[in-house]
Amino acid sequence: MTVAAESGMRRSTVAGRPPAELWGGWEAGLLLLMGGLYLAGAFVNPAFFGTSDALAAVLRDAARYGVMAVGMTFVIVNRELDLSVGSTLGFVSTLFSVAYAPSHADAGIAVALSVCVAAGIVVGLVNGVLVTFLRVPAFIATLSTLFIGRGLVLGLSGGNTIAFGEKAASDPWFFQLGETNALGFNNQILIFLLVALIGAVALGKTRMGYETAAVGGNEQAARYAGIGTARARIRSYVLSALAATLAGLMNVAQDKGITSQNGQGAELIVIAAVIVGGASIAGGRGRVLGSCLGAVLTVLIDKVLREGVPITRTIDVGGVPMEIGAVAQLPPGAVPAFLGLLLVGAVLIEPWATSGGLARLRARLTRTPVPVVAPRGDAAIEAARTRSHTALDHRGIPKGPISAFLARRDAAAILLTLALWLTGLALRPDFWAGLDNSFAMLTAFTEIAILSVGLTFVIAAGDIDLSVGSVLALSAAVAAFCLKELELAPVIAIPLALLAGLACGLLNATLTTRFRLPSFVATLSTFYIARGLAAWIVAGRQLSGFPSSFTLIGRSLAEVLTALGAPPGTGWWANFTGAVSVQTLFLFVLAGIASIVLSRTHWGQMVYATGGNERASRYAGIDTRRVRFLSLVFSSLCAACAGVIYVAYLRSFNPAAGQLRELDAIASVIVGGGSIFGGHGTILGSLAGAAAITLIRSLLSLQILLPGGGSYVLPQHWMNVYIGLILILAVIADIWLRQEEILSRFLSAWRRRSSERDIR
Amino acid sequence: MTANSGAPLIEMRHIDKAFGPVRALAGVDFHLGAGEILGLVGDNSAGKSTLMKVLTGAYRRDGGEILVAGEPVDFASPRDSRERGIEMIYQDFALCGNMDVGQNIFLGRWPRRLGLFVDRNRMYGDAARVLDRLKVDVNSVHAKVESLSGGRQQSVAIARALSFEPKVVIFDEPTANLSVMATAKLLETMAELKRQGVSQVIISHRLTDIFEVGDRVMVLKRGVNAGERLIKATTEKDVLELIVAGAA
Repeated sequence: MTVAAESGMRRSTVAGRPPAELWGGWEAGLLLLMGGLYLAGAFVNPAFFGTSDALAAVLRDAARYGVMAVGMTFVIVNRELDLSVGSTLGFVSTLFSVAYAPSHADAGIAVALSVCVAAGIVVGLVNGVLVTFLRVPAFIATLSTLFIGRGLVLGLSGGNTIAFGEKAASDPWFFQLGETNALGFNNQILIFLLVALIGAVALGKTRMGYETAAVGGNEQAARYAGIGTARARIRSYVLSALAATLAGLMNVAQDKGITSQNGQGAELIVIAAVIVGGASIAGGRGRVLGSCLGAVLTVLIDKVLREGVPITRTIDVGGVPMEIGAVAQLPPGAVPAFLGLLLVGAVLIEPWATSGGLARLRARLTRTPVPVVAPRGDAAIEAARTRSHTALDHRGIPKGPISAFLARRDAAAILLTLALWLTGLALRPDFWAGLDNSFAMLTAFTEIAILSVGLTFVIAAGDIDLSVGSVLALSAAVAAFCLKELELAPVIAIPLALLAGLACGLLNATLTTRFRLPSFVATLSTFYIARGLAAWIVAGRQLSGFPSSFTLIGRSLAEVLTALGAPPGTGWWANFTGAVSVQTLFLFVLAGIASIVLSRTHWGQMVYATGGNERASRYAGIDTRRVRFLSLVFSSLCAACAGVIYVAYLRSFNPAAGQLRELDAIASVIVGGGSIFGGHGTILGSLAGAAAITLIRSLLSLQILLPGGGSYVLPQHWMNVYIGLILILAVIADIWLRQEEILSRFLSAWRRRSSERDIR
Repeated sequence: MTANSGAPLIEMRHIDKAFGPVRALAGVDFHLGAGEILGLVGDNSAGKSTLMKVLTGAYRRDGGEILVAGEPVDFASPRDSRERGIEMIYQDFALCGNMDVGQNIFLGRWPRRLGLFVDRNRMYGDAARVLDRLKVDVNSVHAKVESLSGGRQQSVAIARALSFEPKVVIFDEPTANLSVMATAKLLETMAELKRQGVSQVIISHRLTDIFEVGDRVMVLKRGVNAGERLIKATTEKDVLELIVAGAA
């Protein structure tokens, strides 16, 4: 068919065979890579990969991730991100188990399934509404739902395993779905194939799929074209959550029970799968079949890494050398570290490959002319930044000290801290202001506050650092390993630990500024890599027993003075030195310097300018990449300091160190007046925010004395739910109250209306 | 053809610029006299902004020459052209909304104290003086830019440009985001700048504005010169015909 050419055009447009929508060169490349990897696996470990069982096992395990990857493809093509899928899987399987298990609600299978599907839809709607109508950035919204979901898993299951093997026999039609069928492969593979087929057609061939790609490619253009962009985005989140629900149900069908670990870290595998499958983190590009192949490949890599290599080890048994078979396995933590690297690699390769990188490489190798590539917009891959365009000329300069204070963005955090502390005092006057509680709260505050000092620079410069908790763990692991296993002196161990943090910071900063990845993608990869390495270094064990010269860093001043031979005696000096520890002093020196740098120096102004409007700053001659680079490095260094202090304070290292701390630190900065969109945040505010978060945490675990003589404490298993809710509320409040000036707009509209009424 | 006699302040000869397969500019000639206000008009994608970005160094040209006061120049970035007295005011003003008026006027070159700190007294004092010279009514140099209306944000952008004591100011679609009142105020400001001897280029779709303050109008069409007219000797209809039909 030829479209009639316009008079001015030289060529007529020919609509030949339409291009393939379901598959392409990327998928073919993946298949080749997978075949090669499988052969390599078979060569290294024929006992496992040499059999057809292995293929079935890989496909079975890939099925659940594949189903989730289908949903995630819609989200990523939409230029969004869903970090909550693993958590949703865990939540749904826990919900099913709680509803179905005889030990709990003991409901029928139909009720249990309906509850799960409803819960999945609710999770998807919550994510969707948060990112569309409430305008919360996708990574922060779904990170909050991730933690809330994990909190719900812990709260619902009480941290226990739930099993219902016997009752499962009465509903064979459902539990058959998780079993091997008569043809010799697991039914989950069939479900995966079915979902993949439906997803591929829906994304590639239907209007709905075209809408998704259009919204991801250019949301504004899509909206102008009459596409309901909010509906399309919410729909993708619901699809992703429903896919996770299905995966969760496949999980219970197979295991006939749950542990509270179900689905932990699955989001990493799923996102890696989709990106490996050729989707672009910048949105608008991606195919379901690629994602499914990506899921199989990722699971295959995971399997190859986990299975280990059979080796023969010679041991000496009573003077007789004996050869025994063993398996050389990677320690725990190595797998997430590699998967994190895979994610970074895939995100880096994708833009290169899709912009004709392969063709250019081939041309260079064969010494033929290198094809010219049309430049793509630089900004496309960087996270979109929204900016409020409010015209509020009436809002002048505040007069008087009180209104000047209230006009500060950090005023709310300072008042909140005061109010929370007074609440605690009112609830437990006997305990709250006492020495023990003050010491405990100050040390907990110190850890969060050190992280948030570094994070304030990153957030003010318009980036985010999700890796602070993991970097804390890594540097703590390095410090513990050097002191305990290598028996190095603290003066060597501490710099090595800080170097590990520096390396993470350099990785974050290089990926963000040199390779222009969105900072949340770069630091999310580091989040997994650093935590994996931390577990790897200590081989998953807990280390303790460090020299006391080292652990003094984490003691109270009173103990240090005693160790130095000058005990503080009694009176206020004893109380003060008993409550304040070395790390608290360190924090205040660090925060003091950081505060002056950020608020008074040229450098601080450059940070705010970069976060406020990067392009304008670049035109003004500011080296914005350098500003962002150094901010990210500084944040990691702060996290590394917190890691060293963690080991010194607890006198032991546990691979779970610093878990959830990124959440606390981000919430501190946002509560303290920072904006998730950059350009705002002060050190004083972040300290107040960290204090508020610490106080909230202690209040939530406070034993409240009831008038009747009894006491009440909130169920502690639900803690993650509260903290997740606080983060998301802080972000929403920032966006809606501070950025959009909803309150003042509402007030001025109301005033206008009432004055009009007066005139009438 | 220039409004005044003597050598032009800026001359661009046979400028070429391509983006991949798209030829944005093909052998474009351009000149601007001292104290002149030139309207640069044309359809979308005619190459108006590209030509000006080549002039400021935001884009590198593929071919042709640029002369400033008769001297050949080669700007690698807007910073270089700024040193020769060329300033551009972008359509979205390129300001940091989170910072205040004073901080924005001195964006990236805040006055220093002790080499490390920002001399806030000097910054706000100088900012107030620049705003006075421009005769604009921005209430306070301490107001956050995002709290200002579009017209006042533009005043800040202009004040910022003027603080460099430029010889040439390029306005990219200056009236696109402004109210009628703010537009009238802007045209007054342009006339005031002309009195102070600053040459100006106005990239605009709105011929009315150019006819009010301009000396000359130059038309681009699909990356080539389509003609130019002296404002005194032409009509809006005549210029419109040039834009639509190209060179007669």
